[in-house]
Amino acid sequence: MGIKVVPRHGKSFKEKIYLPAIFGGLKVTFKHFFTNLKDTSNIKTIQYPEVMPKDITPRYRGIHRLTKREDGSIRCVACFMCATACPADCIFIEATERLDGIDEKMPKRFDIDLLECVFCGGCVEACPCDAIRMDTGIFAFVQDERKKFVINKEQLLANEAMKEEEK
Amino acid sequence: MNLVLVSVVIFNIVVSLLFSLGAAPILVWMERRVAGFIQDRLGPNRCNIGGFRLGGLIQSFADMLKLVFKEDYRPKSVKEKLFFSFSPVIVFVCAYLTFMVIPFADDLIIGNQIFMMQGLPIDFGILWFLAFAGLSVYGIIVGGWASNNKYSLLGGLRAAAQVISYEAAMGLSLISILIVYGTIHLGEMVRIQGELLFGFIPAWGIVMQPVAAILFIITAFAETNRAPFDIAEGESELVGGFHTEYSAMRFGLFFVGEYVAMSASSALIITLFLGGYQIPWLNTEALKNNLFWVICCLMVLAPLMSVVFARWIDKNNAWPEENDKRNVEARWLKRALVVINIVLLSILGTLLLLGMSSDAVNITVALLQIVTFALKLLFVNFFFIWVRWTLPRFRYDHLQDLGWKILLPLAIANIFFTGIFVVVFGA
Repeated sequence: MGIKVVPRHGKSFKEKIYLPAIFGGLKVTFKHFFTNLKDTSNIKTIQYPEVMPKDITPRYRGIHRLTKREDGSIRCVACFMCATACPADCIFIEATERLDGIDEKMPKRFDIDLLECVFCGGCVEACPCDAIRMDTGIFAFVQDERKKFVINKEQLLANEAMKEEEK
Repeated sequence: MNLVLVSVVIFNIVVSLLFSLGAAPILVWMERRVAGFIQDRLGPNRCNIGGFRLGGLIQSFADMLKLVFKEDYRPKSVKEKLFFSFSPVIVFVCAYLTFMVIPFADDLIIGNQIFMMQGLPIDFGILWFLAFAGLSVYGIIVGGWASNNKYSLLGGLRAAAQVISYEAAMGLSLISILIVYGTIHLGEMVRIQGELLFGFIPAWGIVMQPVAAILFIITAFAETNRAPFDIAEGESELVGGFHTEYSAMRFGLFFVGEYVAMSASSALIITLFLGGYQIPWLNTEALKNNLFWVICCLMVLAPLMSVVFARWIDKNNAWPEENDKRNVEARWLKRALVVINIVLLSILGTLLLLGMSSDAVNITVALLQIVTFALKLLFVNFFFIWVRWTLPRFRYDHLQDLGWKILLPLAIANIFFTGIFVVVFGA
């Protein structure tokens, strides 16, 4: 392998007086300024609350949802696998007997404290029945009270998947 | 006649206030939006009063209100409470007073009275500027020292060393200009710049003294502590530099003071090198003689510019929904444009139709020159901002190298050659 000689800059008179380089830089910045001033649609910034980002993929871990069976009833069997797997201890389940004959157990209470949750997806991995998922794509949730961040079973069931499931 | 005197004096003070103090929120806004556009961002554009955003200008007022209402906090470690409180005032007052000697129009003649069109009718000119520009650094040094904090002290020391080295080059670059103009009175200098060189080039300072112009502009950047010479703040090394311990309106005074100083430096650059209030090829005499045609040009230009601006609003301040507040604002802005045009055209039209007394001619010329000055001021301030968002900050030793080894010898050589030229060829 030969030796690659890297050219050293800054020795010529033009580079030493520094002003041509400054004017070159000023030209570049002015070009950006002028194109953006002429037509602000050149700027890639999203006008956020009015325009939502479109690059949220189905694999993005948003707020959780509880999935449903074919007949629309809750899929969860209150096995506590998700609550056990949760590193943040943010899932609170209270089980009850299921009387409609579809299964033996179901949750009476299923709360998730979103302020505690670290959005690791551990609960989704742990679930043996595919009853909890994080594919809602909801990334912004704002409340004015701490207790409103604890979402209950009904809210979790109401959340829908962001996109139709691929079959 | 006394009424004229009082009104002209009040007018002068108000205009110089507008140019210095009133410029600060506009400059803060310009800084943010220009920075945004240069970096392909939008900059602040959401803050509004009743849907009126004025392109984000309202954000400056919101920030100012925030600074005013914040808790006036002073750390316990500050021992010199008086100096701590006093230093922002020094910076602010000095920056503000510097503006007072800048002429923004030629001497106004009403009846048999002559008024100097500047904040304070004194002719210290450039000496006043140098005195106050030098004094304003005391605010930074004292503030840095009184904060009782090593970062602040380092910031203050850097500012001191920087200003000492650059004020030498600045003073020397000014001397060659004084040799050319033969006066320290700024109004006189601008009058000389109204003439033509070889009959077709405006004799602006930048044409007569290009080296001095470059030296002065560079040193003016250093004098106002703006990038690329803002090592006194140097947030990458010194937290916040000299204003680390300051908050609320004390910091606000430093902040506004910086912008007022920038505006004052721009005004001096304009006055010395860019022809001051002179419209190129139309000095005061020519303007008075050709006022009819100038007004005709204005009457054509104003609607044309308004149409261009309205189309820009249509393109860039629009939103798909019909009753979005952006569209409402755009509609009102366009109506305001139409009203301004009608008022302007009717005033100019009456002036043209009724003919003008010599007083009216003088006043119109003065107003035209104030507008010219304001436009030039806006452009040079834009240049300051433009440079700030283009160039990286100097390293400290590079800064001193540049000041002592390049700018100072250049300034002295420039004096030498200018002196020879003036002696050999006559003034």
